[in-house]
Amino acid sequence: MHIPDGILPIGVTAAGYAATAAVTWYSLHKVKQKEDPRQDIPKASLMTAAFFVVSLIHIPIPPTSVHLVLNGLMGALLGYYAFPAILIGLFFQAVMFGHGGLTTLGVNAIIMGLPAIIAAYIFRLRKIGNKESPRKDGVFGFLAGFVALGLSVAMFVAILLTSLPADLNAAVEQTAIFALAIAHLPLMLIEGVITAFLVIFLRRVRPAMLSSL
Amino acid sequence: MDEILEARILPPETAGPVLAASGVCFSYPDNASVLQDITFEVMPGQRVGLIGPNGAGKTTLFLAIGGMLKPSAGGVSLLGRPVAFGKFNPQVALVFQNPDDQLFCPSVREDVAFGLQNMGLPREEVEARVKAALLTVGASRLADRPVHHLSEGEKRIVSIASVLAMHPELVMYDEPSANLDIRSRRRLIRLLQSSAETILVASHDLELILEVCERVILIDEGRIVADGDPQEIMGNEQLMEAHGQEKPHSLIPHQIPHH
Amino acid sequence: MKLGIDEYASLNSPLHRWDARYKLVGLIILVFAFSFLRDLRMLLAMVLVTAAIYIVSGLPARFILRWLRFPSFIILVIVLTLPFLSGETVIASLGPLALHQEGLLAALLIAVRFVCIVTAGITLLGTTPLLNSIKAMRALGLPLIMVDMALLAFRYLHELGQDLGRMLTSMRLRGFRQHSFSPAGLKTFAWLSGSLLVRSYERSEWVYKAMILRGYGQSSRPQGEFKTHPADVFILVAVALTAAALVAGDILLGHNIAAILQ
Repeated sequence: MHIPDGILPIGVTAAGYAATAAVTWYSLHKVKQKEDPRQDIPKASLMTAAFFVVSLIHIPIPPTSVHLVLNGLMGALLGYYAFPAILIGLFFQAVMFGHGGLTTLGVNAIIMGLPAIIAAYIFRLRKIGNKESPRKDGVFGFLAGFVALGLSVAMFVAILLTSLPADLNAAVEQTAIFALAIAHLPLMLIEGVITAFLVIFLRRVRPAMLSSL
Repeated sequence: MDEILEARILPPETAGPVLAASGVCFSYPDNASVLQDITFEVMPGQRVGLIGPNGAGKTTLFLAIGGMLKPSAGGVSLLGRPVAFGKFNPQVALVFQNPDDQLFCPSVREDVAFGLQNMGLPREEVEARVKAALLTVGASRLADRPVHHLSEGEKRIVSIASVLAMHPELVMYDEPSANLDIRSRRRLIRLLQSSAETILVASHDLELILEVCERVILIDEGRIVADGDPQEIMGNEQLMEAHGQEKPHSLIPHQIPHH
Repeated sequence: MKLGIDEYASLNSPLHRWDARYKLVGLIILVFAFSFLRDLRMLLAMVLVTAAIYIVSGLPARFILRWLRFPSFIILVIVLTLPFLSGETVIASLGPLALHQEGLLAALLIAVRFVCIVTAGITLLGTTPLLNSIKAMRALGLPLIMVDMALLAFRYLHELGQDLGRMLTSMRLRGFRQHSFSPAGLKTFAWLSGSLLVRSYERSEWVYKAMILRGYGQSSRPQGEFKTHPADVFILVAVALTAAALVAGDILLGHNIAAILQ
């Protein structure tokens, strides 16, 4: 889901940075409205580190192994902090592992970060209706994970295909989109399932972590 | 390679106790009371050991003295003034049980400088104090290392330097010898013995308490059970065992002299 | 995780000595100029500029090569498939596959841009300790919250990485097959991740206390770690002029502005 350097034209990368700056500004703005934003900074920072490390775990899914993205869970746990957290995580991934790109940091942050904020709202929906239950949390956790990754994949494919410095004929483009979508469906399901497991786990162990927005 | 631990200049004579706790009670929302009616005073320069089983309330007491927790009853005053909840007070310092919880800056130098910068000190003074603090604990060679490259013992002494740099009147040590190897532990003991501040040391390492402290407070289930001379209290086998402790080996009279 | 971009940051070269703030600005200008280029002749110029930067930096070749190896599967896929899928002018055919000129040129463009941007990027970033780069960003105006978060996250990344290692070892010692798939294994990975998250959360509460006890939030911390030397400005101007020349060259040689906005 990370677009590397070299593919995107400057118009897209610059727009990506501009959009990231705007969303970051807005997120920090929302975050400062809370009563003691100072307290949340260590929390968000350590969670950033934790998500970074968790995304390094190889999960064997035949025929290969995948890395979890967990942007849905980040939204669920961090609320608006998820966006700066993802931005910082992407930065470190780029400079520590060469994963992703420097010119594309802005674009990648939007691809991963916006869905995270949307996931935060989806997860908040679990509070509708007064009944609370692990199952409800699990279902909304699944949705948060599934939708967040789905949106990221959609944005990734759309940006990539429309930005290639070449014209693909319509048929090829459609096949590519179709193929990529199909390829990512299992990943979306796995993210959803693991996010659900995690939400249920956290609810048992440390429910305070699940409140964000 | 032992660096000489410099003797520190003694704080000026203060009229009254450095620390006075009176009737301090505290309970977490989901718990029964953690601290019950804690009352004691500490005079300048005293070295007080705090012993008691896990869960007795030692760490909670430290947090209350540091202003991190608000007692549900009673109060704590520091140098005659009541401790303000949540406010920055560089006169009291707490060395955490786990140095990783405390060393949050990327490099040693920055961590030691952190408190000083927040005190608003000018750059030259910050640098001078950082240098002095690292020298006191014997960590000068670690100044520019990233924190995550340090060993347990090194992290421990750096965390001590990072609070000593603020020149506090009162320093509280929470399990300072946990996870230290013999050499580091010995260095810690010497450091504590030569400290000029008033210190409170909470520890399961009873021999360390014997070597460092001239007064001991035994806490169990949130109450002070005994307060006084270390040899007397820790030598009282019945008392110690009643509260989850043991008589330290060095106080046990030996039938067969083996040393 | 120990090997990072600043592995060779302690060498000594004009780039190493360049002030981190100016270096960052120079990097941004250069790298965006690179992503502007489309004309093939300018690609050559870009390669020369990149090579020059690399040579001045004194960084070992294996370091750069290691970084170029990492990324991208995606680049590889695109570069290998574009020539066959895109464009109209066929220049060769191998059986059913036809090599198209436009696709080939596009693939070349992407590949060269990728190599040059990444090389320039890591050469410039690799000559500064990572923490200094972050501090330079602070000096350049990055919001303090972002800086604090980045520094704290950086500090605890390594701890957590070690925690993860130890936990995996303990799981393996108890029979967990880390590299084979099973539904129960998925749950285990979820719990492993969950434990790391909970630990971090709980540690963060202690870190917060440690920060408050030492005055966090009291006063804005002094910044003044960077001092500008004339050489810093001079190098930045040189880089900016080079970037401008590349862009101008590209425009003059036929790339017009409208084409950027695909």
